[in-house]
Amino acid sequence: MERAYNPYTTAQAQFDKVAAIIGIDDGTRDLLRQPLREFHVLIPVHMDDGSTRIFNGFRIQHNDARGPAKGGVRFHPQETVDTVRALSMWMTWKCAIVDIPLGGGKGGVICDPHNLSESEQERLCRGWVRQLSRVMGPCVDVPAPDVMTNAKHMLWMLDEFEVIHGGKYPGFITGKPVGMGGSLGRTEATGYGVIYILREALKDLGIDPRGTTAAIQGFGNVARYAGSLYSSLGGTVVAVSCWDNSAKQSFTIRKKDGLDTAMLIGITNSYGTIDREKALAAGCEVLPGDDWISQDVDILIPAAMESQITADNVGRISKQVRILAEGANGPTTPDADERIKERGIFVIPDFLANAGGVTCSYFEQVQSNTNFFWEKEEVLRRLDGQLTSAYRALYDLALKRKMYMRDAAYVIAINRVVQAVKMRGWVR
Amino acid sequence: MTDRDNANEHLLGLLQERAKELNCLYRIDAILNDESLSLPEMLERIVSALPSGFRFPDVCQARIVYQNRTYQPAGFLRSDISAVCDLKVEGGVVGLVEVLYTREVPMVEDGYFYDKERQLLKIVAERIVQTIMVRRMKQVACALNSPPPDVGTPAWASPPQWKVVVALLLETDPDMLTYVCRKMLQHLSACSSNAGGNRPAVLNQRVIQPFCSGEVNAPGARMTGQELAQLSEETFTLASQQMSDAEIFMSMRRWIQEEKANSLITAVERIGGSVGEVVEAISRYYHMLDRHSPSAFPAERWLEVALIRRFLSDKPDFIRIARRFLKIHDFYDVTSRLIYPSGSCGKIGGKATGLFLAQKILDRRSGEIPLLASVKVPKTWYVATDETTEFLQYNRLQGLNEQQYKSLEEIRIEYPQIIQLLKAAHFPPGFVKSLAMALDDFGQAPLIVRSSSVLEDQAGAAFSGKYKSLFLGNQGSKKDRLEAVMDAIAEVYASMYSPDSIQYRAERGMLDLHEEMGILIQEVVGTRIGPYFMPSFAGVAFSNNEYCWSPRIKREDGLVRLVLGLGSRAVDRLNNDFPILMSPGQPELRVNTTPDEIKYYSPKQADVLNLENNAFESVDIDSFLRNYGDAVPDVQHIVSVCRDGYVRATSALDIDFDRDDPVVTFDGLARNSVFIKTIDRILQVLREEMQTPVDIEFACDGKQFYLLQCRSQNSGPESLPGLIPKDIERSNIIFSASRHVSNGTIPDVSHIVYVDPDGYSELQSLDDLVAVGRVVGMINAMLPKRRFILMGPGRWGSRGDVKLGVQVSYADINNAAALLEIAKRKSNYVPELSFGTHFFQDLVEANIRYLPLYPDDEGIIFNEAFLTRVTNILPRLLPDYVRLAQVVRVIDVPESADGKLLQISMNGEMGDAIGYLAAHAGRQAVPRRQRPVSGKAERADELRFDQEFWRWRAYMAERLAERLDPVAFGVKGAYLTGSVNSGTAGPGSDIDLIIHFQGEAEQLRRLKSWLEGWSIALAQINYLKTGCSCEGLLDAHIVTDDDIAAKTSFAAKIDAITDPATPLKMSDRQT
Repeated sequence: MERAYNPYTTAQAQFDKVAAIIGIDDGTRDLLRQPLREFHVLIPVHMDDGSTRIFNGFRIQHNDARGPAKGGVRFHPQETVDTVRALSMWMTWKCAIVDIPLGGGKGGVICDPHNLSESEQERLCRGWVRQLSRVMGPCVDVPAPDVMTNAKHMLWMLDEFEVIHGGKYPGFITGKPVGMGGSLGRTEATGYGVIYILREALKDLGIDPRGTTAAIQGFGNVARYAGSLYSSLGGTVVAVSCWDNSAKQSFTIRKKDGLDTAMLIGITNSYGTIDREKALAAGCEVLPGDDWISQDVDILIPAAMESQITADNVGRISKQVRILAEGANGPTTPDADERIKERGIFVIPDFLANAGGVTCSYFEQVQSNTNFFWEKEEVLRRLDGQLTSAYRALYDLALKRKMYMRDAAYVIAINRVVQAVKMRGWVR
Repeated sequence: MTDRDNANEHLLGLLQERAKELNCLYRIDAILNDESLSLPEMLERIVSALPSGFRFPDVCQARIVYQNRTYQPAGFLRSDISAVCDLKVEGGVVGLVEVLYTREVPMVEDGYFYDKERQLLKIVAERIVQTIMVRRMKQVACALNSPPPDVGTPAWASPPQWKVVVALLLETDPDMLTYVCRKMLQHLSACSSNAGGNRPAVLNQRVIQPFCSGEVNAPGARMTGQELAQLSEETFTLASQQMSDAEIFMSMRRWIQEEKANSLITAVERIGGSVGEVVEAISRYYHMLDRHSPSAFPAERWLEVALIRRFLSDKPDFIRIARRFLKIHDFYDVTSRLIYPSGSCGKIGGKATGLFLAQKILDRRSGEIPLLASVKVPKTWYVATDETTEFLQYNRLQGLNEQQYKSLEEIRIEYPQIIQLLKAAHFPPGFVKSLAMALDDFGQAPLIVRSSSVLEDQAGAAFSGKYKSLFLGNQGSKKDRLEAVMDAIAEVYASMYSPDSIQYRAERGMLDLHEEMGILIQEVVGTRIGPYFMPSFAGVAFSNNEYCWSPRIKREDGLVRLVLGLGSRAVDRLNNDFPILMSPGQPELRVNTTPDEIKYYSPKQADVLNLENNAFESVDIDSFLRNYGDAVPDVQHIVSVCRDGYVRATSALDIDFDRDDPVVTFDGLARNSVFIKTIDRILQVLREEMQTPVDIEFACDGKQFYLLQCRSQNSGPESLPGLIPKDIERSNIIFSASRHVSNGTIPDVSHIVYVDPDGYSELQSLDDLVAVGRVVGMINAMLPKRRFILMGPGRWGSRGDVKLGVQVSYADINNAAALLEIAKRKSNYVPELSFGTHFFQDLVEANIRYLPLYPDDEGIIFNEAFLTRVTNILPRLLPDYVRLAQVVRVIDVPESADGKLLQISMNGEMGDAIGYLAAHAGRQAVPRRQRPVSGKAERADELRFDQEFWRWRAYMAERLAERLDPVAFGVKGAYLTGSVNSGTAGPGSDIDLIIHFQGEAEQLRRLKSWLEGWSIALAQINYLKTGCSCEGLLDAHIVTDDDIAAKTSFAAKIDAITDPATPLKMSDRQT
């Protein structure tokens, strides 16, 4: 079993690698390569059939030197502590790279919501909060939706927390619906975020967005908002790939003189499948699903799923490609990443490129804490500002130190946390 | 004043008199028909109304004498100027009606009264008698049907109820009284030989005498009223000495019912007695009988069975169940809306029978389970099965019955003509008249014309989709509507001769069984919404859930498939859409829990009837709800609203169809209504009473729940329990399972893709873990469709941690026949399996089976040795992924097991499943490349059809190759590949050929056009055999020497490792 793949050891290895680059002292290294606090709780739940089942829950606060821990709550049947540890560590780095005053945390319950009725899920949520309410809170640790949890669960958890603490604390949790303490702009945040940063990158590379072309993988939320904002900057979306629900395979829609995102959304059904016939009628070509990667474009935006750029297809990337903006989580496998590094493609690494989401969560928390909610324009304006300066800092470092962007991102993130623990005097 | 004026005035006077008389008659009629009046009240009012019909109402008075009471107005004066009419019952005078003038009035021709006035009096007297009789008869019926009196109740002590009945019978039904007396005397002599001496026998003799007076040639004299009165008095005096009042009453009641049933018995009993007579008799019986008393006498039982046999089914098992629930009067529901030819001996057909019985079962049980009382059945008319024969004979089309013995090709050629022939045929006038009547009854409600054939819905023969069901808008003029109904019926009749249904019968050995088509004409459940007519929701439900999505759901918890609109989308498996699934026994455990899943797997289209163009349409739910959402009854139970990732059922008021994102979830229905509970109870009760799991169709118009169909669930081939052979050698068993097993059989699996649980958990790099999913996806595209299974650890398709299960999407496994998740014990726990949740609904719609395996359970066989030791062909298939050969093992079963294939049998009833190695399940099917070349194609209908698809294709490919001139076309070789080569061709499959070409451009052009000709001809043959039409059937891939050297595309199939192309023998001339 020891030889098996373990996300925690992978995360630690990654940290060790960066720690060596920065030259972190042993004390700080030992502090940061593992979580600061771990809570393992048992949650008894009365089931609908009268029996009682005991669930195992976790909350892991990797580091809160920069601010309250922030991170999702996962409901997963085969959750392991190590997965949660790894994810909490990644949250610390993610909040640090966008430079929001939050630390990293993650939590979860070993369960499969598919096997639980809604009322059992509610009791489980409330049980989790009851066990952890003393070690969490708006100023301590702020949970959010994650794998198989959603706004419904967040509101149950919030309610339980408020019952226990006898007050209203909407800033305890994020991912709430608008009107119940949620923030506007959440839908757009990730897709727009990708393009705010891409815009800055183009500036740095001295490229006028108006002459550029891009191919996007996927046509979900992120891809759509990214595509439309990119077009409004003057860029040309040449291709998007999309999942065909009836043929059970993906395909790529291409139009060399530019796809109109709004038009495509108009001919997309509720499964997110673009109507091929209508696309053909609109003058588009229909190509095989993985052809998005081989288009002669300046920018590739994988915005679908993880592990899409692999050692097998990385060779198909056109020589023309200058920038890879990772809108999805982990779209590039490590092997493929090596090749991209060699090719000198400018990478906007996933944990910055898609940090629009976590930034908006932070804004939700800020609004909730002040009980004052902003207009959507306000949210997006602040989002732009936050991501732009985060990118700027990263690019400056990468340029100055001649580092690969992905490496530089880890360096800057980890370094910020290192500084925080030192300034707090946790490590001298 | 002239004579002429006089005459005119006289005429006018007469006319005015007539008008007065008529008005009077109307008033009296109204009084007589007013059931709220007691008899004295009625007579009093008549007394005051009657004078208005006479010449001088002011001085006219009336009185009625009845049963020693006189009804007359206050201040009544006697007078000699009067007219009298007797009230007569059964020849005896029981009273009188009299009209008189209190003072002298002018006379007319023959006295003081006109003829017409005397006539009026007579009519009134007759009507009074009639009304009195009707009221009495009702009392009798009422008295007979009232609950048995409590003997101790003082109220009962006087007057004894039986006395009332006897008196009434004496007046109204002497024959019945005679019968009752005879029964009473028999009863008395039988049970009290001492107390009454031989008196009963003597009396009895008097009853019988008139009917059997020896060998006298003159007819026996009928008993007079007085004799009968005397007889009954003596009889009942005798009876009252020996029996209590209550006993006498109960006995009388039973005998009277018995006698009423006799006419029915006679009608049913007569062999050859027509449906018409039975219908008539049932109708009479129905109107007389108490519907709530328990079955009272043996003849009734006998009758019920006779009626079941007559109208429903003569299968003993069915009768045994049905007779517990069907009462004689229930048949009135059927017979009052039955369309049948004269002299009919027909039944109502399988579908109608199933529904009828289910309805009655629910009805009987609704007393103890009130929920069931809300279940309705839409208004239905039945067309008897032998109306088909009548229809054919009327049009001299009996010859069509030979159709089933023709070859499938002929059947297919002729079918379109038969449809037209039947549509052009004339309906017998009686049939048309009955249909017209039915249409009057239905009004302009949309209708569905459904088949209900004799063979349909019998165990093992569902005929699903074989016979037609047609929706009709039923709008417009009566003539148009009638024509549309007849057109639809003709089309349903024609479907008996469709190639599909004949083939279906042939496959099940039902070709020689007599088939006749009954028809159900049913009102479509629903409401009008915009231009559409549709139920708010509809669906199907099953007693057994063969697709449990959670280990907490038991098979017996059942399954519901729900859709918005007409239920057709729930009945059929859908390609692009999903119905909502629920388990009535566990309604809280839903298939989809995250908002993304809920939205993705929600129905996107709805079937509706468009009344504006009388068409059946599928509409897009999004735009439908935007336009008409507010008009859908009960919409808050159907859709939920998704806002900011929060999906919730809400009140109708809270849904803004213009702006919101409504998702069809039926959450409201599950949570805030009794729907699920009702379905659950229906399934339970029907399973219990019909002694088989059932499959029902239902619809709801937003208010009422309607049952539309009910049949045994085991009639679908998919849900038949698999046979678990007990004599399999242990070494031939690959796995067994005993948890969460459903019904089903997966025959002839040729490949196993086994992801080794240990190997998988030992993979170190994320890339390799991800690659396993990719490899599975690639293999999925390479192996023969639905002929391989996937076996692997943990949670397939899990989106969380890749370690916990192979990371695949549905597209990576969509060709598999089954997905088997293995829960192998790890140091201290057994991992929880996914039950396919991540693409559960995709699996359901594609009928990919799911089975969890628990190798460490006691008594379970898991043949790890076979799975891990036999040859792994992965390195041959995907040389680039040799590094994963320890993890992904692809097993060519026949190659590794001496030609045997993997057979999987799952039996949910026993809770057992087994996968074992055995010879091919089909009798003769051996894939093309493993069998000696046969020169003879067999007749289509002598073979199982799925084998036939590749057999004749392979044969034709051989013939084609024989005739392919290698020299003329520059061809070096021809190969057969694809589904025909692997023996998996379906009805629509191409014939894939690889032509090794080595010639000039001109030769290539000619070769292509030569092949094109074959292709078109073969497509035509295929159409005749299968009904699948396409432009061409050949898919010829031209490859060159270079291609073969480079092993590009199809050239790689020549000498390939899996599924190599088979060389075809060409004529001997070589290039």
